[in-house]
This record gives sequence, structure tokens and C-alpha cells, in this order.
Amino acid sequence: MFNFLHMCGLAAEATLSTTASWDLYETIQALFQAPSYHLVFEAALILWIVGLLFTKSYSSKVNKLTLTDKEKADLVEEWQPEPLVPNVPEDDPELINIRTRIVDSKLGKYVTLNGQKCLNMASLNFLAMVGKEVIEEEAVKSLKKYGVGACGPRGFYGTVDVHLEEEEKLAQFMGTEEAIVYSYGFATIASAIPAYSKRGDIIFCDEGVCFAIQKGIQASRSKVKMFRHNDTADLERLLTLHAEEERKDVKKARVTRKFLIVEGLYVNYGDICPLPKLMELKWKYKLRLFMDESISFGTLGKTGRGVTEHFNVPIDDVDFISASLENALGSFGGFGCGKSYVIDHQRLSGLGYCFSASTPPMLSQAAIVALDLLKNTPDMVDRLHANSAYLHEKLSRVPGLRVVGDTVSPVLHLQLAESDRKRASAMATLRCIVQMAEEEGVALVVASYLEKDERHLPPPSIRLAVNCDLDEKEMDRVVEVIDHACLASSNS
Amino acid sequence: MNVVVVHGDPNPNTSYVNSRGIWLTYVIVVVILHYVCLSLPFLTVGLAWTLSILLRNLIMFMVLHLEKGTPFETSEHGRLRFLTAWEQTDIGTQLCASRTFLTVVPIVLFFLASFYTKYDPYHFIVNTVSLLSVLLPKLPMFHGVRIFGINKY
Repeated sequence: MFNFLHMCGLAAEATLSTTASWDLYETIQALFQAPSYHLVFEAALILWIVGLLFTKSYSSKVNKLTLTDKEKADLVEEWQPEPLVPNVPEDDPELINIRTRIVDSKLGKYVTLNGQKCLNMASLNFLAMVGKEVIEEEAVKSLKKYGVGACGPRGFYGTVDVHLEEEEKLAQFMGTEEAIVYSYGFATIASAIPAYSKRGDIIFCDEGVCFAIQKGIQASRSKVKMFRHNDTADLERLLTLHAEEERKDVKKARVTRKFLIVEGLYVNYGDICPLPKLMELKWKYKLRLFMDESISFGTLGKTGRGVTEHFNVPIDDVDFISASLENALGSFGGFGCGKSYVIDHQRLSGLGYCFSASTPPMLSQAAIVALDLLKNTPDMVDRLHANSAYLHEKLSRVPGLRVVGDTVSPVLHLQLAESDRKRASAMATLRCIVQMAEEEGVALVVASYLEKDERHLPPPSIRLAVNCDLDEKEMDRVVEVIDHACLASSNS
Repeated sequence: MNVVVVHGDPNPNTSYVNSRGIWLTYVIVVVILHYVCLSLPFLTVGLAWTLSILLRNLIMFMVLHLEKGTPFETSEHGRLRFLTAWEQTDIGTQLCASRTFLTVVPIVLFFLASFYTKYDPYHFIVNTVSLLSVLLPKLPMFHGVRIFGINKY
């Protein structure tokens, strides 16, 4: 110890040779003349170190569960593994569907079900892009040039020039600064939400949102407040309550982000969100508005640009719009568009973008061609609106069924008029109607949900999708078939 | 972006204090800092010691007790975003080896400093205040405590 001090002293003296000299002897002298408060303090510190070194470490978590050996043995004995495959009865309707409803052709305007050609009213093929030769030719050319896919995420040798072209064209079409393309429509909104909203933030969300948005919200770990479907008064009530809480704890409010998540056109209900009123609330309560336009992209507005065009709201006012390319454009994947600083964040934080393989170039090329088609023939959208209105009007006259959805919406839900039936029996009747319609050459589908996982299960319904290529004769036939089927099923 | 670590910690902040060679590195850095202060020609030895202790305590306070959360995404999904780095080490276990080490080092430096400043009262006050500001947040009873709500969110 003294050697060490001596060396320290020499080193110090060597470095301080020009200034006041410092003497080791003097310092040790000072130790014996030290003030007593100092020595007492040092003694206390030494005692504390000794105490620290001899105390065992413990965890600050209070609720630690300790079980005796016997309890552990009992628990192990009692445990029964869940079956790997749950017991599904043989007459489960989904099982029957899988075995008997087999598609033999492309899911275009007509589909061959079990060998019979039916008019396809089930696929969300709004602009009849499925099966168009132009798109298929370009896709095959692209396949011959690029192969089937990059097999890597966008950040790791997965970006092909077609992807960049697709993003540019989509951003140009929607009129936003930038767009980002995902390779799976469901994953688009489910990755976008947790990229911005984290634990400790608060999301105000409509009750009727689709499953993808529900999963995105669940993944974000944020606090969720759901308001009644399309009810802005309920939303305002929730917002005022939250504003009260904010006033009480201003510091916490400063780090809490607020989001409002809605769908442009709800796929479960067929109605459009009240965008102007939502914009008012957004500016008043300072929310970030995220809109999912999965089925309104390409179908609403004069040129198919979505709900913002439908209501004449400037697109920059919505913070982030996500849409699916799988419905109107008949390709695969999804995209998000908005301002550059919003979209850029997802290039590193959008989990479905960073950690999933990129879209096969063939499908990106198909999306580009479909988008060009949409731009050059905007009367497609007019025809779609006309068809939707016509079908809506005709179907509302069918007795026994209630039509749910906006007049201009290309997705209609047909619910049974008697709404007090139990879900199982209503579903059975609807399946009966669908079966009979199939026999007469119209393919319909019952809207199916993961009943245990949905937060607010929508009522049982048949989901009808309108096609822009339908003509009056075909639509009349659909109404006739549904009428017969409804009558027959209510008699049986 | 997720940080993938070989030892499978959900939060790397909890275990970097235990990593190989970090104690030795820390001691070497403190010694280098002290020699830099000593080599400044206009300071006496006592002032150099006090200055190096002040600097060291200030930097350690900012690193361990002011910075909250993590600079990367962890699989804890933001549960620790309001905990300081000290509270995150070893997942909140109190009095484990690295925590004891980090508590003992400023105390030892205080002893050396008081020896070299010849027990001068002014130096004593400065060094004690600095020492207490670094020791108090490390006490188990101060886990999660924010005085006057400073740095709470």
C-alpha cells in the first residue's frame, strides 16, 4: 500500500515539477490532524461498504410465488395437455365448405364451383381486374425477366426496380409525397399501427374495424378506447373524458400520443366513415388520423382515389392512409401513403416491411398495369357506382332480407330481417340461402369471422361484392335468385 | 429495429454491466480520466482529485440515473420506458455484484480524494455533495422514486 502511494507521489511530483510541490510526508501528517467530522463520515462509509459486501442480493419484485415440492408434484400430475387438433364435429359447416365447395377456374366475373359455372358475387373483384389479358401478359413478361421473387426482405437484396416504380406510381396517383409497399394486405395495417403507437399511447378506434386493424392495435400494446360504429357523438364523449384526464396530469399528457383509427369503407358493415366530422375532431383534440382504405381504394371518389376524394378533403390532412392492392387492383400486397416523414419511419420500424420477403416482381408489375388501367379508364369507377346503386335498390325490395351498406358502397351485407334469432340458427339459414343460390348459378358467401377472437362480432350476414362489369340482366338474375332462395329457405 | 443478442436477453440494458471485462475497462477509464486531470499544470494535486471525482460522478449520474428507457426496440414492448438505466440493470435485482461494484467505486475514490486534499473542509463539502448525489439513487429504497416529479415521464 505504501509502495503504491510512494509511486503515486513520485509520478505526481514529476508532473507537477513546475508548480507548488506536494509532499507525501505532509499529507500523512494531515491524516493525523484530520477534522473529526470527516473521519466519522469516512468510518460510516466503510461500515456501509462492509454491510453491502455481506448482504445477499434480492429482487425488488414483491409477488414471488414459492411452491413446496409437494405442490409442484401435484400441479405436474394434474396437467392435461390440450389436443393438438381440436375436436371438430363432422358436420361443421366450415369443414363441409372445404370439402365440397371447390373452385376450378379463375375467380373472375364467373367462377366454376364444383363443375358448375356461377356468377361470382363473392370475390372482392370490384374493377374486374382478375383475368384481364393485358395484366396477365405483362405479368408473364415480368416473370420471364425477374423470375418468381427475391426471397428476401426489402432491406436485404429484396428491392427490385419494379417495387420502386410501383411506390412512385402509387404516391403520384394518390397525390401524396411518398408510398411504401408491403407484400401482404393484412400485414400492411397490422404493421403500420405498432410502428407509431407504442405502450403508453392511446388509440381511439371504431368498433367495427376489421380483424387486421384489431391485431395491429393488439400488437401495439397501447391503451384502446373503442367508440360505437360511426358514432361521432360517442367519440367526442370519449375525447372530452380523456381531455379531463390530461388536464390533471400535464406532464404525462405531454408524452402520450393520441391516435384515431378508422376505415374508409368498412368491410364488415359496408358504410363509409364520416370523414369531415372526424377531421373536425382531429383538429380540435389533436389526434393523429390513420385511415384504412382497403376496399375504398379504387372504388370511391370520382377517379377511385378513395374516401378523401369522395368527401373532397385534402389528402394531406389524413396523417396516414393504408390500402390493400388485393381488392380493386387484383394484385397482391398493400401500400401505405402519406407525407415523407411519416412513411420513412416505416422503412425501419414497419415490421411487416423489414422482416418479410418483398412482393414478387410479377405481382408488382401486375399492380402497376392495373393502376394504369384505372387511371386511363375512370369510367370503370362510374360503372361500379351505378351498379352498386342499382343492386342496392333492387335488393332492398327482397322480403325477408335487410340490406346493410351505403348506396354507393360496392360491398353489401344482407342480414335476415328478423334480427332476434340466435346466431347459430341465423347462420344456418344464410348458409341454406347460399347453397340454393349456388345451385341456380350465383356464387355467394356468408361473411365468416373468427368468432372467439373478434372484439365486436358483427351480426351474421351474406357479403355481396359488386363488380363494375356486371350488366343489368346479370344483376336482375342475382336479385331473382336471392329472392327465390330466401323464400325457399324461409319455407323450409 | 430489434436488437438480437446472443444470450437471449429481452433487454440488453439489463446485462451489459455483467459483460466480460467491463469492470476492468471501467477502472482503466477512471484512471485515465484522473491522470488527464492531474496533468493539467495549473491545478494542485488536491484540486485535480476533486475535479476528476466531480467529473466522474457527473458523467455516471447522467448515464445511469438520468437517461430512461432504451435506444432500441426490445421485446419488452416499452414496459421499461420510464425506468432509468440503473433501475434496469439485472432486471431490478438489488445488491447484486455489479451494482455493489458501481456503488463501492465512488466511495473508494472519495477516500483517496480526501487523503490527497489533506482533509480540507471546502474540498470535503464539494466531494461529499458529489458522492451523495451518486450514492443516494443507488439505494434500494430509491428504486423508481422521482423527487419533485422531475424526470418522471
